This record gives sequence, structure tokens and C-alpha cells, in this order.
Amino acid sequence: MKPSNGKHSLWAELYPELGTEPIPTDRCFSPEYYALERERVFKRVWLKVGRVEEIPEPRDYKVKRVEVANTSILLVRGDDGQIRGFHNVCSHRGNKVVWGDDTYGLRQRARGRAFVCHFHGWTYNLRGELVSVPQAELFFDLDRCANGLTPVATDTWNGFIFINLDPDPRQGLKEYLGGAGERLEGFPFEQMNRIYEYYTVLNCNWKIALDAFSEAYHVATVHAGSFPGVFDAAVKQVGMHGPHHSGAAFQKPAPNPGPVAKLSYSLATSSIAKPGSRSSLPPSVNPERDPEFVFDQTNIFPNYMIDVSDGLYFTHQFWPLSIDKTLWEGIQYFPPARTAGERFSQEYGQVLQRNAWLEDTGTMEATQIALSSGVKKVFHFQDGEIMLRHSYKVIEEFISRA
Amino acid sequence: MDASLPQEFSELVRFMDQWALPTQSERESVRRNTTQQERQAFYDAVTPRLDAIIARLDRFPLDAMPEDARRLLHLILSLAEIAPTVELYRGSATVPYSFDETRFIAVHGDRHD
Repeated sequence: MKPSNGKHSLWAELYPELGTEPIPTDRCFSPEYYALERERVFKRVWLKVGRVEEIPEPRDYKVKRVEVANTSILLVRGDDGQIRGFHNVCSHRGNKVVWGDDTYGLRQRARGRAFVCHFHGWTYNLRGELVSVPQAELFFDLDRCANGLTPVATDTWNGFIFINLDPDPRQGLKEYLGGAGERLEGFPFEQMNRIYEYYTVLNCNWKIALDAFSEAYHVATVHAGSFPGVFDAAVKQVGMHGPHHSGAAFQKPAPNPGPVAKLSYSLATSSIAKPGSRSSLPPSVNPERDPEFVFDQTNIFPNYMIDVSDGLYFTHQFWPLSIDKTLWEGIQYFPPARTAGERFSQEYGQVLQRNAWLEDTGTMEATQIALSSGVKKVFHFQDGEIMLRHSYKVIEEFISRA
Repeated sequence: MDASLPQEFSELVRFMDQWALPTQSERESVRRNTTQQERQAFYDAVTPRLDAIIARLDRFPLDAMPEDARRLLHLILSLAEIAPTVELYRGSATVPYSFDETRFIAVHGDRHD
């Protein structure tokens, strides 16, 4: 915890193990480094792939392309209510069983209680078991029990669905999340089921995108349009939680909103530009209930961010597609509005947040091109960019474990 | 299309066809395809009535609104969409110094409000 003696102290003094040296830039454009990240990071950790509300009932399913691991994942809610994950690959000749790259937030339901491969009609039930093989008598010693869909370790935490591509995960999900998960326990994620979801392919390395969202230093410049004079330039309440970390954004006093903004804030039960007075925040988030607090960000290593505020939350995820392409998913979650006034306020806040994300993503592709020149050998991170520094360090730790 | 409104908001009828849009994708599209003057005129006409409109709409449950009230809600959702262009972006239809917004795919874009 940050010392509360009222004096300015550097995060570097609190976390000296992270060092203060510049960080090599080639980690963002080196194919060798990307290959290492792929094998030693992304295939060894718990990765968030969905929310339980996306597959609420038995027979619901979700497909997620996980490019960095060259696989497609099928998440299925079985008749028993359990969510299972499988590699979306037919045991016969490797065809993709359920088509589509990604179903995103749109609910899909299996016809009947099975998935039929459209190549030769092999059929798998909701538990991934191979239940039907046309002309099975022509196969040689085919053991149906051994040829179901290949499972992937799947688990949920507070309604977030995670997979682990390691065939033998080193840790369970709860243990992996550790203190980062504990500090968010009790936030009413499941009540925030009114969703606004965006995605796009960013032509930059996944870390360039992740970094841009992990500090408050950029806000005065990047968000001069959408949040002029709104946010403090210093990240607050920085915490380290194993491979994960968290930090908070604070507001400046006395912003000067226009009439529509002002009315929207006065009606708001949920807007990051105007903190609410009710608190649905867990005790570890903004523990001293500082009134200048706006939102708290937890970065779940390697590529997922959960940002909680009083009355809403939003998330970002950065899926590597290649060394310089990233699938970004930005999702805002609100409680359903109860009145027209709340609905209006929610729309205003949501539109403004979307606009801020357009500002955030605006620099990333240019940064990638410029960095790839190789002319600048290092990043210089200031004290407030400590979350970036931690992320690079943890990646290095994973890579060094052969 | 019937653009009737309660008498107290009759001066806003002229905006209904263009701005009372049920999905966010449509509202974004109109924002991009109007002039600054059109957006400013819409903003100037609706903003002073916003309190009264909301008070009127708040009488109904959100999921059981009469059709004319629902369209009035769509009208003010369009105000939410363009208010930043007037209040923050000095009239620009799009966010200054930003990513190409047509590349953001909104999963919720065609959801009816």
C-alpha cells in the first residue's frame, strides 16, 4: 500500500524490484520474441474467453478463435449446466467442427444436443463425446471414447470464463488470479448485463495496445477532446499481485461540463466521467473511499483488463494475431437502466467512453510503424508507467522458464 | 411515418424523421452524414427541452412505452450521440485525433432501443 504520509513518493521506491532502467523496444517487433511469448506465455496461463451470460442455458455455445495458439475454442454449456471447453477440431481429419471465427457476444444455441461436423457427419454431444460416426464399421479399431473433442482446461471466476491451453495447468484459476481476483470479489458483475461491445484489428503488437491503456500519463494529451481537464495525470493506488497489477484513475476537481453532459451526470447511476455516491466497490478497491476516485483497473496477466467503477465496469482484451496485429475487444457493462433518464445518461456516458477509446486507439498503429524502424532501442518509462514496466518484467520471467 | 408528439413538444416534430432512430448504428451514421449546422440546430432545439422530455418519459416503464414516447426516447438518444460534437469537439462530426471509427465494429450496433 502507498504510504499515507501525505508526501509524494515514487512507485519505484515501493517496488524497487521492478527497477527503473529503460526497456528494449524490439520486444514489440521481433518475431523471435513473439514466438517465445506465444509458447511460454499464452500457452501457459489462464486466459479470459467469455462471460457466463453469453452462454446462459444448456445447449448455448460460444466459439472463440485463439490465433496466438493456432486454435479455435468451443465453449458449451451442457445439460447439467456445466461449462466445458474444447478445441474445435474434429477427431476424424481435423476439420473445424463449429464454424465461425468468433461468436462475440451473440448467443448461439446448438441444434438438438449435438455438434455435427460438416465434413463427414461425425457428431459430438454437449460434453464433447463422440456419439456418432457414419459408417463406423469401415474404421479400424476406432475407440469412440478416446476420440471425443479434445478438452481444454476451462473454469469460471465471478462469471468470467477462462481457459488454459497448457494440457497440465500449473495452477488452478483461483490460485492464478490470487490477490488480483480477491480484491474484486463482491463487485456485482452479474448485475451489469446491459452490454456495449466493440472489436477491431489493430495493426500493432498486442503490448503496444495494452501499454496505451495502462497509464494515466496520456490522458491530458490523448483525451483533450473527450475528457478535457477531467483526469489526474498520475496513476493512484498501484498494487502488485503476482503477475497481475492494479491502479486507479482519479479525477481533477471542478470539471466544466456542457449542458447535456451536466444533465447526464446528474442523472447518472453509471458513468466514468462522474463518480456515483453509492458504492458497489469491494473494500480493497479505493479502500479509503477517496472522493476523487473514478475507476480502478486490474490487469490480469497477460492481456485482460477489468476496470471497475461505481455502477459500471468495462474490460479490454488484446489477442495477438501476429507480431504486429492485435484483436482488441473493448466491452462496457452497465446495469439495465430503470428509467428513461437513466437510459439517456447511460447512452451519453457510453458514447463518450467509446469516443475516448477512439482516441486511445488513435496512436497505436503509428507507434508500431515508427518503432519498427528500430531506430529507438528503448522505451523510457516514467514512475507512473510502472504497470507497463511490471508487465514487461513478468513476460521476461515467463519466457525464461524453458 | 407518424411523427406525432405530445403537444408540448410539437416544435420537435420536424426533427423526428431524421433523428428519432432506434439503433446506435443509425444514430452514428446520421452524426457522420449531417452538417455541423444541422447538428447544432438539433442540439439547440432539443437541449433546452431535455429536462421536460425526460420527466415526461420517466412516467412510463422503459420496457412498456407507448410508441410516440419510445420515438421521443430515440430522439434524445440521438442528442446523446451528437452532444459531444457540439460541447467537446467544436462542431467536428468525428472525434479529433482518433482512430477511424468505421473500423470499430459494434456488436450491439443494431440492437433496438
